[in-house]
Amino acid sequence: MTQRMCAITLKIPDNAAYTTLTTLQRLGLPVARVERSEIWVVDDAGDADDFAARMERNETLFNPNKHRLAVLDANAPRAGEMWIEETGAHAPHGRRRYVGWRLLDRDGKPADRALLREAAERLLCNPAIEKAHYA
Amino acid sequence: MANAATNVALRPDELQRIAEKLGREPTVVELHAFDAQWSEHCSYKSSRHHLKNLPTTGPSVILGPAEDSGILYIGDHNGERYGVVIAHESHNHPSQVVPFEGAATGIGGIVRDVVCMGAEVIAVADPLRFGRVEDPSSHQRYVAQGAVDGISAYGNAIGVPNIAGDVYFDERFDDNCLVNVVAMGLVKESEIIHSYAPKDANGWDIVLVGKATDPSGFGGASFSSLTLDAADEESNKGAVQVPDPFLKNVLMRASYRVFAYLRERKLTVGFKDLGAGGIMGCSAEICSAGGYGATIDLDAVNLAVENLKPEVIAIGETQERLIWVLPPEITADVLRIYNDEYTLPEIAHNARAVVIGKVTSDPRYVLRYRGETVMDVDIEFLTGSIRDELPYTQPQVPPGAGERPLVTGVQLDELLERVLGHRDVCSREYLYRRYDGVVRGCTVLERGAGDAGVLAPVPGSPLGVALAVAGNPRFAKLDPQLAAEHAVYEAVRAVVAVGGRPVGLTDCLNFGNPRKPDHLGEFVVAIDGLARAAAAFGTPYVSGNVSLYNESAGGKAIPASPIVACVGAFDDVSRVVTMPFKAAGSILYFIGRPQAALGGSVLLDELGRHESVLPRIDYDLVRAQHALMARAADANLLRASHKLGNGGLLVALCEMAFPTLRRGHAPIGVQLDEPWQWTHGAVGDLEALFAETGGFVVEVAANDVEAFEGFADDVEGVWEIGVTIDRPVLAVDTEAFDLHRLRDVWSAPLREVYP
Amino acid sequence: MSKRIAVLVFPGTNSEEETVRLLRACGGDAHLVHWSHGKLLPGFDAYVLPGGFAYEDRIRAGAIAAHDEMMDYVIEGARAGKLVYGICNGAQILLEAGLVPGTGEVRRPTAAFTRNGPVPHFINTHVWLKLAVDPQRSPMLRGLERDALIPAWASHGEGRLAASEAELRALREGGHVAFVYAHADGSVDDTAIPNQAALGCAALVNREGNVLAMMPHPERDGWTFNHPDRRRGNAILEPSGGAVFFRSFVQAVNA
Repeated sequence: MTQRMCAITLKIPDNAAYTTLTTLQRLGLPVARVERSEIWVVDDAGDADDFAARMERNETLFNPNKHRLAVLDANAPRAGEMWIEETGAHAPHGRRRYVGWRLLDRDGKPADRALLREAAERLLCNPAIEKAHYA
Repeated sequence: MANAATNVALRPDELQRIAEKLGREPTVVELHAFDAQWSEHCSYKSSRHHLKNLPTTGPSVILGPAEDSGILYIGDHNGERYGVVIAHESHNHPSQVVPFEGAATGIGGIVRDVVCMGAEVIAVADPLRFGRVEDPSSHQRYVAQGAVDGISAYGNAIGVPNIAGDVYFDERFDDNCLVNVVAMGLVKESEIIHSYAPKDANGWDIVLVGKATDPSGFGGASFSSLTLDAADEESNKGAVQVPDPFLKNVLMRASYRVFAYLRERKLTVGFKDLGAGGIMGCSAEICSAGGYGATIDLDAVNLAVENLKPEVIAIGETQERLIWVLPPEITADVLRIYNDEYTLPEIAHNARAVVIGKVTSDPRYVLRYRGETVMDVDIEFLTGSIRDELPYTQPQVPPGAGERPLVTGVQLDELLERVLGHRDVCSREYLYRRYDGVVRGCTVLERGAGDAGVLAPVPGSPLGVALAVAGNPRFAKLDPQLAAEHAVYEAVRAVVAVGGRPVGLTDCLNFGNPRKPDHLGEFVVAIDGLARAAAAFGTPYVSGNVSLYNESAGGKAIPASPIVACVGAFDDVSRVVTMPFKAAGSILYFIGRPQAALGGSVLLDELGRHESVLPRIDYDLVRAQHALMARAADANLLRASHKLGNGGLLVALCEMAFPTLRRGHAPIGVQLDEPWQWTHGAVGDLEALFAETGGFVVEVAANDVEAFEGFADDVEGVWEIGVTIDRPVLAVDTEAFDLHRLRDVWSAPLREVYP
Repeated sequence: MSKRIAVLVFPGTNSEEETVRLLRACGGDAHLVHWSHGKLLPGFDAYVLPGGFAYEDRIRAGAIAAHDEMMDYVIEGARAGKLVYGICNGAQILLEAGLVPGTGEVRRPTAAFTRNGPVPHFINTHVWLKLAVDPQRSPMLRGLERDALIPAWASHGEGRLAASEAELRALREGGHVAFVYAHADGSVDDTAIPNQAALGCAALVNREGNVLAMMPHPERDGWTFNHPDRRRGNAILEPSGGAVFFRSFVQAVNA
C-alpha cells in the first residue's frame, strides 16, 4: 500500500487566509503571513505522477482555474505549519482531509511550536470538533 | 470555431467590415472588443429578428425587454406603484465544464441584472436540464450535483430565497446541460434606476465597483457561442469566472444603501451590471444607450494581479462588478459608502469602488492604457445591432398514431408506481431542500407547498407575487411549436393554481446550432408557439435570453428547449391556495378537458412508446377555466389545488395526499370514481388517468359545493371526480393503493443523486 | 420607555431585515447595527445575532465573527446580564465566542454547531422546536408554556451539535438544552432531528439563562402569511407561529 499526500492551494487571492491573518494580529500574535492549504492523504495511491494526475482530474477537489496542486513528501506538517483535522467528519474511505495553516513572522521565519499552539487554541482549532497536528 | 491566428471567433467578413469602418487594421484590444460585442451571446445576431414576433406590451408592463431586466406592475401600497423586476438567463456552457462555479456564476449574474434596476432582490428560480445521472461515476452525475450545489452555495449566501424551479433528465442533455436562472426583484416605479447614462450626463464619472479585475473569464462571451468539444473543455475552463457570493452579499447591501442615498436626493443616475464583454461591454452600452461616448482609463481599474494585458482588463469577465454613471459631486459619497462604510477592500482582495472614466458627448468609445490609446471606435458601430440572416427549415412533426384507447396489459398499480418513480415525476425535495427557500422571511409558498412559489414582498401590505417556470423536453421532441405553447400554458397554469393573476412572462430559448437549418427551424417555430400562447393569455414577455450552440462536437444537439417563467400577482395574498389536501369528506373536481392524447406523456415514455400526438390547447376553454379558478380562489372556495403536469391526474392526486402522511398530521386519501363516470367513455381510462392535458384538481368543502358549482355553471370541463377520505389510500373505483407505499416509490429516485 | 435591542450585522449576515421586522411587530424597539458602527453597541439593552454567513464562515462557522470588535461589546454585555439571542449563524458565533454553553473561558469554545449528518449538506426544512427546560430557566423562555412547540425553519449546512461525551453530559445535566427537535404532534424521536444533532438539540442556553443560541429560524415562520394554512378568516399579516418565541424574548427585554 502506497500512501501519498498532496496540498491544494489557491492561485487566486486567498481571502480566508487574509482574514485569518488580520484576526491573529488582532489577538496580538506575531504573525506576518498566513498560508492555507487543503491537504489530502490517500491510501493505496499508486505511482506519484499518476496520483497527481488523478487528483487534478477530480473536479470536486481541484479546479485548474483556481487551484494549484503539489505532491508532498511527508505525511506531516512542515516547519511552521499545523494540520487541522475534523474529528467525526465523514471522509471517503481511504482518504483523510486536513486544513493546513502555515504561519510566518515578519522575517519570513516559520512559527515555532508554541506560537502554533497558541494560534490553534485561540482561533484555528475548536477542540469540540477538531484536532491540531503539529510538525 | 475560434480563428487560430487571432484567437477570436470573428468571421473573415466581420473582420473586413471592422477594418473598412476603422479605415485601418484594428488593434488587439479592438479585435477582442468586437469579438465580444459581435458574439452571438451579446449581439443576438442570428436570433434578434425572429424575437420581434413576441408580444412585449400590455397594461402590466412597466419596462419591456430593453434593459438588463423587465419590470411588471403588481399593485399599489400606500400610494406607491410597485413593480417586480424579472430577468432570466442561461449559464449552460460554463456549467457543463465547471458545474459548481458555472451555475453559481449564473445566479450571481442574474442577481446583478436585477439589482442594477434599483431593486431589492427577492427571489431566484432555477429550471435545470441534465443528462442521464444513473451512473454515479459519470460526468452527467457530476454536472447534476455540482450545478445544484453551486446554485445552493451562492443563493444561500447572498440571502435570496429560491422559490421555483424544475428539473428534467434526458440523454440528449448528456453533453449539454441547461442551467437557466431567473431572478426577481422588488422596486417602486418611482425609484427605478435605468441602465443608461441619463440626460445631461456629459462629463459624469464612470465608477466601477466590486471585485478586483483578474484574468478569469477572458473570452467568455465568444465561448458561450461555441460548440462544446470534449477536448476543448480543459482550455475552456480558463474562460469560466470565479464567483464570490460573500463579496456579492456585501455589494448588494452596499448598493441598497446607495439607492437610499439617491432617493434622499432625488437623483437620476445610470447603473448597469458587468456581464459579457466586461468593462468594455458594460461601459460602452450604458453610455451608448444614453447617446454618449466614453473615455476609460484602464490604469485606474483595481486589479487582482499585476501586469494584465489591456484586452484582459477591458474585456475579461471577472464576476461581482457593476458600473455606475454618477454626477461628479456625489462620486466621493458613493465611493465612501462602498469602500469605508461597507469596507469592500477588507471583504475581498482589492475589491473597491473606483472612478475609471468619463461620459463624453463625442460618440466615440476610447480606452487608454499606460499613456496610449488602445481603442478608439465609433460607439454606435461597436454596440449597434448586427444581423445574420441564416436559412432554416420547418421541423417535421411526426404524425400521431391516432386516437385508439391505449391497451398495455399492465396492472394499474404497477403503471402508477412506474410513473411515480419516473425521473420526470419523482420527488424533487432532495434537490430543492439544498436551497434556502425562506430567507428574507417573506415566503408564503415555498417549493413543494404549491405549484408556484409565492412571496409577500412588501412589508405591511397584502400584495403577493408568484413565480413558476415550465418547459417540457418530452413534448419538445415531438413538436417544438406546440411544446413552446405548452411551456407558456404550464407556467401560467401554475400561477393560476395557487390563486395568482398571471401578469407577464420571461423566456430563455435554449437551442442547438443556428447555422444548421433544421436547428434554426426549431427555434423559429418555437417563437411562433411562444408568441401565440402569450397573446392568448394576455401575458407579455418583459425579459429573456437566447442560448444557442447547445450542441456537442459530435453534432448532438439538445431537444428544443424554450423555457418560460410566469410572474403572478395577488392583490391580497390571503387568497393563496396551497397544494396539500386539508380534510376528509371534501369533493374533488377536475377542471380541464380529457383528451385521448398521451403523446409526450410520462406513461408512454415509461412504456417505451413514443408514437402519438401532443394534447391540444383550446385557449377559449382554458381562459374560461382560469377565470373560474380566479373567482373560486377569491371567494375562498378552494381548500387545495394542483395543476396537472408530468404524469397526469393520478400523480396530481398523489402529490396532494403525500404531505398529509407526515408524522403528526392526519392522513387524507382519495376515493376516485371510475373514470367512465365522468369521461362517459369519451377517452379510455388510461388516457383519463395519465394524459398530460393540463387543467387542475381542486378540493372543495362539501358545504361550498353549491357556491362552487354556481360559479362553474357556464364553464365547460368541470368534472366531479371523487372525494377525500380519512385513510391513507388512493382508491380508483374498487381498487385501493397504499399511499405510504406510493410515496416511498415517488420519494426514492433522486435521493441517491442528492443524498 | 421600552428597552433598545441591537440586531448585529456582520459582513455576510443575511437575515437582519426580517429579524428586526418581527422583533418590532412583537413590541421590541429593534435597530440594525452595522459592523462599521459597532461602537454604538454599549448603548443597547439586548443583542440579537441574526442568521447568514458572517465573514463567509472562514476557518469555521462563526470563528472570525466571534473575534470581531462587535463581539467585545456583546461579551461585555452578556457578563453584565444583558439578554443575548443568536439565530443560526448567530448561534454558531455565540458558541465560538464561548458564551454558550458558557462552560469554558470566553472565546474558547467547548461545543459546536457543525457539519450536518448523515450527509454534510445544507438543508432547508420545516421543523418544530419543543421547549426542553422549565420556562423559568431563562427570562427569554418565561413567556412560553411548559413543553411549548414552536414552528421554525432549519436552514443550515452546519447545525449538528457536537462536543465531547463529557461535555454533552454536562450540557444535559446542567439544563443547557433549551429546545429539542420534535414532530408536529410534540412527539420526540430520532426521525424528528434533521441533522443528527447530539441530544436532538436545537438550542442551547448558558448557565445564567441570559444567552440563548438557536439553530432554526422562528422568524421565517413568524407571520400568518408564512404558513397560510394557519389562517382563520382572511387575516394574514399578523405575527404568529414562531413569533411566540420572539414575543417571549421581547417581554424579557422590556421587563
